[in-house]
Formats: sequence, structure tokens, C-alpha cells
Amino acid sequence: MTQRQPGAGRLRYWPRLLFAIPFAAILWVPSYNRMEPALGGIPFFYWYQLAWILLGAAIVLIAYLLETRITGATARSRAGLETDGAPGDVL
Amino acid sequence: MSLDLTATAVFVLLFLLVTWLGFVAARWRKADLNVLHEWGLGGRRFGTVVTWFLLGGDLYTAYTFIAVPALVYGKGAMGFFAIPYTILIYPILYLVFPRLWAIAHAKGHVTAADFVRDRFGSRILALAVAVTGIVATMPYIALQLVGMEVVIGALGFPAGGLLGHLPLIIAFIVLAAFTYTSGLRAPALIAVVKDTLIFVTIFAAVVIIPARLGGYGAIFASVPQEKLILPSPTGQSLGSYSAYATLALGSALALFLYPHSMTGILSASSGDVIRRNAAMLSAYSFILGLIALLGYMTIAAGVDKDPAFAAGFTQYGANFAVPALFLSSFSSWFVGVAFAAIAIGALVPAAIMSIACANLFTRNLYKEFMRPDCSEADEARMAKIVSLVVKIGAVVFILAIPQEYAIQLQLLGGIWIIQLLPPVLLGLYTRSFHPMALLSGWIAGTAIGTYMAATQGFTSSVYPLEMFGVTLPGYAALYSVVINFVVAIILTPLCDLIGRSGPAPAAR
Repeated sequence: MTQRQPGAGRLRYWPRLLFAIPFAAILWVPSYNRMEPALGGIPFFYWYQLAWILLGAAIVLIAYLLETRITGATARSRAGLETDGAPGDVL
Repeated sequence: MSLDLTATAVFVLLFLLVTWLGFVAARWRKADLNVLHEWGLGGRRFGTVVTWFLLGGDLYTAYTFIAVPALVYGKGAMGFFAIPYTILIYPILYLVFPRLWAIAHAKGHVTAADFVRDRFGSRILALAVAVTGIVATMPYIALQLVGMEVVIGALGFPAGGLLGHLPLIIAFIVLAAFTYTSGLRAPALIAVVKDTLIFVTIFAAVVIIPARLGGYGAIFASVPQEKLILPSPTGQSLGSYSAYATLALGSALALFLYPHSMTGILSASSGDVIRRNAAMLSAYSFILGLIALLGYMTIAAGVDKDPAFAAGFTQYGANFAVPALFLSSFSSWFVGVAFAAIAIGALVPAAIMSIACANLFTRNLYKEFMRPDCSEADEARMAKIVSLVVKIGAVVFILAIPQEYAIQLQLLGGIWIIQLLPPVLLGLYTRSFHPMALLSGWIAGTAIGTYMAATQGFTSSVYPLEMFGVTLPGYAALYSVVINFVVAIILTPLCDLIGRSGPAPAAR
């Protein structure tokens, strides 16, 4: 693979792969449909899902920071509009 | 129940404050409100903080605050699906909508139908998108009134009759007036008050009420065991597991296709404002999670068995759970604050929904099919008038038609609105789909989704799909939109073939 400019190419979207984590965790219902371990009297089913609200927010925030700070992509290119004023067709 | 004077006074005072704000909003970030994107999108100038309040006030509606705990109170763990749903919406918001915002901003789109019209060059497909949006939103506006009606009844106003409906009608006249004059600026400013009141109320509720009931352990211990977790699937069925997961995923995919969500998103000042909010809006989800638990607190407090609240539960059913809990737990003045939070929580989304419907009607029906040559000022004037008509329609709807119909239509609305996913989502990345294939998919998805709900007597949107000898009970919206996608994919090459061999090239 050749060296790319920072923010160039589809590869800079890699932080978005992190979003697979909340989807997998939340849609796999049997993994959390139980009472134990309870937390301060709150059954697992409830505190686990409440905790995922915070984890989900953290993952979105991390993806945002990775995309803006680390890859240094501009706001325009983050919207997928890097080529010209018209929206580019990706497919 | 007699009228609670202290609570009513606080309630009315807060309502007056919000009314004043609604009219003052016309002068906030002053611009020419006779242009549609200024009136109907706030000039696309809302920054991160205002957008956070606006979308929070828009998506977490009064009906949500009443209905989610009512569902948990009545059905237990299954009602908690609203939580995984709100977890999944933010990655979707982050992935899809900054791009939509960028395209809409570059091309001056005000509605999703504008976007689809431009991307696929089909007026008919755009019409389908606009009509679906309006039809799905109308019962949603009507349900906001249900939330308001419950708290007004809980204050002790007589239920039923013209006198009983008077507070509701006054509230909606006020709402209609400030939406007309200030457009989207009004709900944006009011949302700040609404969200603050909601945060204060819920923090008080989750501290004060459990302390009185002996802690969270005692609350969960008083709930019947079988309600606390989902029943394990038996036999050849995935039972409640597939229902819970598909309800969460389907609702999350549908949410941002609603016109009021779209309006909230398009009014942001940049794609990064939307991205930051995808992380920050989770604060409301956490509040919603706590609100859902109020359903169990109602059971633990035993207010449903308290004769003082029997009339309320008879009148409003499970929707009375939260108002009854607040009445029994808070002192009068704070009941006024809490109920005002819910009532104002109805005004914000109702205003945005009516603006969104007005934008759709004006842009994609009136301008497209009736008056293509109308001026910008005509366009804005028409939208203002339509926003009034929509609200009158919602009031008539809720007063004249049994509430079950509004709830059933809202349930159907979720199934209908998700059918916009193929044109909107595919349109973001490619134009290679044929508009007639997308339209066919929309027809197939809408028809099959409606049929699935009909088999359940319109009381549940969970359809027991049989596949390879296994039953997969799941959200009809999700099943029907899969069919919609499949039809669009299969018919696109066929439509292209017909278009090429036909007498004239298909207008694309």
C-alpha cells in the first residue's frame, strides 16, 4: 500500500468501524437478559443497558476525536464532498 | 380530584414564560422570516449547544416521557426497548446525517423529499416521500396532545366536555401563534427551558422517590419477578429476544427519517455540529432510561392501588402512572414544575413537527405541483398557513377520534416512515438506482408492513415471521423495509432495460 496524504482515501473512515461494537452488544439480547449480577439492587438487565448509553456516547466521541484530531481531515472531506461542490457518488 | 391551586399556578406561570419566549424568538438571530429556510430551518445557523437543546427537545417528546414509563409499568422489561433504541440512533446519526446535511446545504434542500427529488430526478418518488412524511407525522402531533391532556387532567381540571378540553385548546392556539410568527426559532428557544425543567424534574425524581421507597433494591424487589427480564424463548421461536432487538434496530433506523428529525438536523450550522451532538445527545437517553424506571417506582409506591388516583387511571390508563407518582411524591409547587416540563415538552416537538409538515407540503406539493412559479415570500406564507392547518387538524383529531386510533396510527406511522430509508440512504451514496424501482419498493414495503400490522389487529407491530421452521417475532417495520430494499435492487436493472428500449430515454 502506498503512503497517503493525511485525510486522504476511504481509509480515514476507520474509526467508524468502532460503531460495530455497540450494535453487536445491544442486539445480542441473550447476553444481558438476566438478573445477576445486580448493582446496588438494580438487576443486570437494567444497569447494563444504562451503562451502554454512556459507553455508546464514549465510542461516538472517540470516533469523532480520532477523525478530526488524528487523521486531520477537513470538515468538507468528512462529509464526503472532497472532490467538488457537488456531492460525490461513492458507489 | 379537585384543582391543585399551587401546582396550577406554577404550571400557568411557566407556560406564560414559554409563550413570551416563543414570540420573542422571532427577533433572535434576526433575519427575514419571509424566506422558507429562515422560517422553517432557522436559517441553518444553530450551533452545537442550540442544536443539542433543539434535537433533545424534538426527539424526546412529552409522549415519550408519558408512554415509556407507562409501557414499563404495564409490560415490564419489553417496554425497556426504548433504551437500546436510543443507544443505536447516535452511531446512525453520526454515519449518515452529516453527509445529508452537506448535500442539503449545498443544494438548498429544506426537506427529505427535496433531496430525493434532486438525487433521482423523479417528482413522483419525491411526492411519495413527502406524503409519507406528512401522514406519519400527523398522528405523532396528535399524541403530543395526549401527553399534555394527561398532565392537565392530573392537575385536577375536569376531564371531558368543552370545559375539560379548554386548557388544551388554549395551549394549542398559543403554540400555533408563536410558530406562525417565529418559525423554528420558537421551539429552539423554548427547548432550552423545556430541557432544563425535564433535567431538574428527573434528577429530583430519581433521588427523592427511591429514598422514600427504600432504595432501588426495594423498588425492583416489589416488581413481579416475571416482569423484570424478558421471557426466555421456548420451542422453535426466538420469542422476545428477536422482538426486543428488531424493535430497537427498526425504531432507530426510522427515527431520523421523520420530518421533524430531518428539520432539526438540517437546521444545524455544520456537519460537525451534528457529529458532536451524536455524542452529546446521549445525555437525554440516560434521562430517558431513568424515566423508564419511573414505571417500576409507580408499582413500588403502590399509587395504582391508591383510591385517590383510581379515577385518573380509569380515565387515562397506564399513561396516568407517572403523573400519579409525581402527585404522591412531590409537594404541590414541584408538581407544577414537573407537569409544566411535560406540557412544554409537548409544545416543542409539536411545533417542530408542524413546521416540518408545512415545509413538506409547501416545497413538495404546493410548489412542485400547484404553483411552480411562486415567489420566496409566497412559499414562506404558504408554509406558515399550513403549519396552522396541521395543528388544527391535530386538535380535531384528538378531540373527535378515540385515542386508540391515534396510537394505532402512530404505530403504523413508524412502519410507513421507515420505507423512506432506501431512497434517502441509497441516495446519499449513489444515483444508480432507478426511481421507479425505488417507488415500487416503497409501495411493496408500505403494503406488506401495513398487512403485517393488520394481522395483529393494529395493536402490535411485532409480526411472527416464519422462516425455515423457526418463528422470528420481530418489528414489522424492519421486515417490510428489507422487502423494500430487495424490490428496489431487483427492479433497477429491469427498469433500466425498459427505459433503454422505450421510445424516449427515462427522465433521470
